[in-house]
Amino acid sequence: MTVKIRFFARFRELLGTDILVEKKSGTMLATLVKDIALEKKEGYDAIFDANGNFREFVIVMRNGKRLEPAETATVMVADGDEIAVFPPVAGG
Amino acid sequence: MIAIQHEDVDIGRLIEEAKQPGTGAVVVFDGVVRDDDVREMELEAYEEVALRELEKIAEEAKKLHTLLHVDIVHRIGRLSVGENILIIVVSAGHRPQAYAGSRYIIEEIKKGVPIWKKELRKDGDRWVPGEHPHGSGKPRS
Repeated sequence: MTVKIRFFARFRELLGTDILVEKKSGTMLATLVKDIALEKKEGYDAIFDANGNFREFVIVMRNGKRLEPAETATVMVADGDEIAVFPPVAGG
Repeated sequence: MIAIQHEDVDIGRLIEEAKQPGTGAVVVFDGVVRDDDVREMELEAYEEVALRELEKIAEEAKKLHTLLHVDIVHRIGRLSVGENILIIVVSAGHRPQAYAGSRYIIEEIKKGVPIWKKELRKDGDRWVPGEHPHGSGKPRS
């Protein structure tokens, strides 16, 4: 299955964006993001803490819907999903 | 008009269009790039989601504050000092609703709409930190 990952702002600068990944079904969302982030230590450290959990301020969306922090560890991705990962917003 | 766009907008035209029947007050909020040792500002959005959020905020503001008309235009891309970043134009029958509605919209945008600003400064670039850490914004989606 194919999943798209979009990073924004500082995370985009560190890791790129619109990344298409091929994964087997049943992959956990956090695992998917971690695998991509591990390609660059600075990017990984910006998003995940020392225990491998999303940092408290990191916001994760699946298909445009925001996930609560607890959900990110348990949600599985599906074919065609778009996952967005970004820091706190600062518009206006 | 609810939009996320690179181009500036004619605020005068928006004011005229906001004057719906029954209008007694039009309030304009114009957020601009401030000269804080900043050369330019780079703005980025998760456009599909941000636009949807702006549309929801506009509808909420209309209902909560009895607004007659709402425009929200948030610009993205590279902007210079003094340029418009965010224009909010609201109209209402009376000034209390218009002021309150305008204030509601800007505060909701700052809480949860996925847009980011990077200051291109004379002493190095810097992402502007969000005012609301994860969880404090009301999730609409």
